[in-house]
Amino acid sequence: MKIEKITCKDVMSHICESLGEDLDSPKCIEIKNHLDECPDCSNYFKSVEKTIDFYKKYNVELPPDAHNKLIDFLGLG
Amino acid sequence: MDEQQIIESAKNGDRNAMSELVKLYEKTVYNFAFKICRDSLKAENIMQETFLSMIKSLHQFDGKSKLSTWLYRIVANHCLMEARKKKYESISIDEDDGLYDSSYAAGWDSVPTNVVENSELKNILDEAIQKLSPDYRVVFLLRDVEGLSTEETGKITELSVPAVKSRLHRARAFLRKEINKAFQK
Repeated sequence: MKIEKITCKDVMSHICESLGEDLDSPKCIEIKNHLDECPDCSNYFKSVEKTIDFYKKYNVELPPDAHNKLIDFLGLG
Repeated sequence: MDEQQIIESAKNGDRNAMSELVKLYEKTVYNFAFKICRDSLKAENIMQETFLSMIKSLHQFDGKSKLSTWLYRIVANHCLMEARKKKYESISIDEDDGLYDSSYAAGWDSVPTNVVENSELKNILDEAIQKLSPDYRVVFLLRDVEGLSTEETGKITELSVPAVKSRLHRARAFLRKEINKAFQK
């Protein structure tokens, strides 16, 4: 099967699918090969990964009185 | 008592079991609500409404999905309803133009990843995600941040798997582009 040569735009619009998904598909293998050779796409890929990581690590604590207010609100006190 | 037993007791009206479920999930629900609306007061209100909905409709919970998934759905519905009420103004990302911008700011390599202690980075992340329409925001948060599968995200948001993937690609590219712009300043 002939696979068309992949462009940077293809990589950028499909790159995200390869994050945490099946990496064995022909498209993903082609993307991975392209990433190894293309610094622009490689940087793009790294920065998308970092974007996700930033939001994953951005957590907040429950305000101190929120639990008691919630229990009162629900009439479970 | 394991979680299944607590759920069964709560379904039968046991108030201690209901309190136990609240304790088990309040942090998850509050955090998710905060991540969608980026406002602590709104997040607290949504948390209260979510648990009220949970208590009212727990008898409908069939245990086919995890309770956390069921709660995510309630939070997402409350947040989307709120956003629609006030006719949310956000940037449209329905077009690809400029979304896949390949520029790369030096900030990506130099910024410390400890988000919680970095208020400048927190501001950048808050501003970027608030520009994203809530429909896209919910998909990004469920799939990438909370780690749900594409299928689970689709069920919660009532979207097909291809639609979830498409929104996810665009949301990631949009956030990446906004953060990149901020790092270039």
